[in-house]
Amino acid sequence: MIQPRWQKILGYVVLIAFLLAILFPFYWMFITSFKQDKEISAYPPQYWPTNPTLSNYREAFVQYGFDHYMLNSVIVAVLTTFFVLFFASMAGFSIARLPIPWKKPILIFLLIISVFPPIAVITPLYMLLRDVGWLNSYQALVIPYTAFNLPFSIWILRNYFLQVPGALFESAKIDGSSVFQAYYKIFLPLTRPGLFSAAVFTFVAAWTEFFMALVFNSSNSMRTIPVGIALFSGQFNVPYGTIFAGSVVSIVPIMILVVIFRKWIVSGLTQGAVKG
Amino acid sequence: MSVLSAGQTQGSKRRHNLKMADRKAGFGLLAPAGIVILAVTIFPIVYSIIMSFNNISLTTNGFAFQSNGINNYKTVFGSPVFWHSAWFTVYYAVVTVFVELFFGLLIALAINNVKKLQGLSISIMLIPWALITVISAQMWDYIYNGVYGVLNAVAESLHLIGQPVTWLGQNTSAVIAMMVADIWKTTPFVVIILLSGLQMIAQDYYEAARIDGANSWQLFWKVTFPLLRGSIALAGLFRILQAFGVFDLPFVLTQGGPGTATESLAILGYRTLFEDLHFGVGAAVAVSTVILILLACLIFLAGFRSMVEEEAA
Repeated sequence: MIQPRWQKILGYVVLIAFLLAILFPFYWMFITSFKQDKEISAYPPQYWPTNPTLSNYREAFVQYGFDHYMLNSVIVAVLTTFFVLFFASMAGFSIARLPIPWKKPILIFLLIISVFPPIAVITPLYMLLRDVGWLNSYQALVIPYTAFNLPFSIWILRNYFLQVPGALFESAKIDGSSVFQAYYKIFLPLTRPGLFSAAVFTFVAAWTEFFMALVFNSSNSMRTIPVGIALFSGQFNVPYGTIFAGSVVSIVPIMILVVIFRKWIVSGLTQGAVKG
Repeated sequence: MSVLSAGQTQGSKRRHNLKMADRKAGFGLLAPAGIVILAVTIFPIVYSIIMSFNNISLTTNGFAFQSNGINNYKTVFGSPVFWHSAWFTVYYAVVTVFVELFFGLLIALAINNVKKLQGLSISIMLIPWALITVISAQMWDYIYNGVYGVLNAVAESLHLIGQPVTWLGQNTSAVIAMMVADIWKTTPFVVIILLSGLQMIAQDYYEAARIDGANSWQLFWKVTFPLLRGSIALAGLFRILQAFGVFDLPFVLTQGGPGTATESLAILGYRTLFEDLHFGVGAAVAVSTVILILLACLIFLAGFRSMVEEEAA
């Protein structure tokens, strides 16, 4: 289709304005993390730090132990992602390729489950975790995060398993493989893109979750990054420099993830639109 | 019975046995996910409902339950604080989701034909989506700061305001400030969904419609919009679910204030449960919130469907 010139120019203008609007707050946070306290509270503000310093980073990591929050976040997010991929791929394979009854009801049930907000489950889980003495532990977050991310991942993976020809399953069985071997050796490697999508969605969800982390793991040594940053407040004023130094460091791994897995994230997002 | 048919029944019996074995394996593979989901989502939801009909107190032996019928709901629905939160949550969600879908669609349409640097653009748009909301809330808190915030500096240099404004200190501006922070973080996500929806529409449709003499307006309403409705519905649902449960943003940015101006239902529920330790009443707030969210989803889907049908007709 031939496109009028003005449409093309408009497209570029909108795109650039949009990207700048997205990036400005990040830029502001980034340069603030290198400013000295005096510059942080200067008015009018400086759009470029005159005396860049690393003292905010030192404070975040040495004084506030931000590295500990990061470690907690990494442990929780990695374990959650592992369990979700493991359970969701088995369940997705079962729904896509095995002759189990009530497939439709199971899929609809999974959709309904993912509608419920954390507030619906948080108190009973809190009481349960309190009774078994699991408040302020990794499992207090890994188990609920796994449960909450399973439905979406099962959907994604089920769609990918459906794209693998069913004949492969039959021929694997004729060759003497068990069902589990067929799943593990043939189907799982062929659905790698689906695993990437499910992994990134789960990791990001676990990395960013705040509500449950706040309620279940509020003791300083078990805080994840969101809880740490939310409760970072100083006694008299908000230590923006320290907060932003920690924030900048915690954004880096996510940015790398997004750049590497961009294609799989987008295809994961659109799966729902295509198949739903 | 002939030899042949006996062989056939044997064969079908074997197939039947194989199928039963596959079914067993299917249940086995489904079980771990099923057990985790039932234990961590279904059980607590049912338990929340039970709690909402009880008076719960924290004793030295743990939690003591005492049935009190619908009293918790009477307390909740009789409280102006609840209705204020419910009203705030509804209009916050409706306004943000509408603005995000509207601007998201406009931006997606405008940039759909920009082929250069698409990978980079999408990567940048994905960063706010993957950003911890608490971080974005702190970032905006600093931008909105009443003494040295950059928003004040920019607005002052453009002569929009005479002196620095405490944006988060007044009801209306605090609500708008919170909405802007939300819109900033989630519009890119909406754009990505709609953009990939747009790119799945075959060019043939447009060419056929052009040959029939359709103008741009008609092209949008007769071709683009109907074929994009799946993507719009998906983005809208994702957003409605999040917006009605909004918690992280007000918790950090406004603490529900000034006063209770930005106290969402989730914040109210959190305070009732974990600050006031009124578990029964808090559970009633939580259950009411869930019912509201389910209603919102149904209304959105029903309204959206009728709108699409009207336009297509």
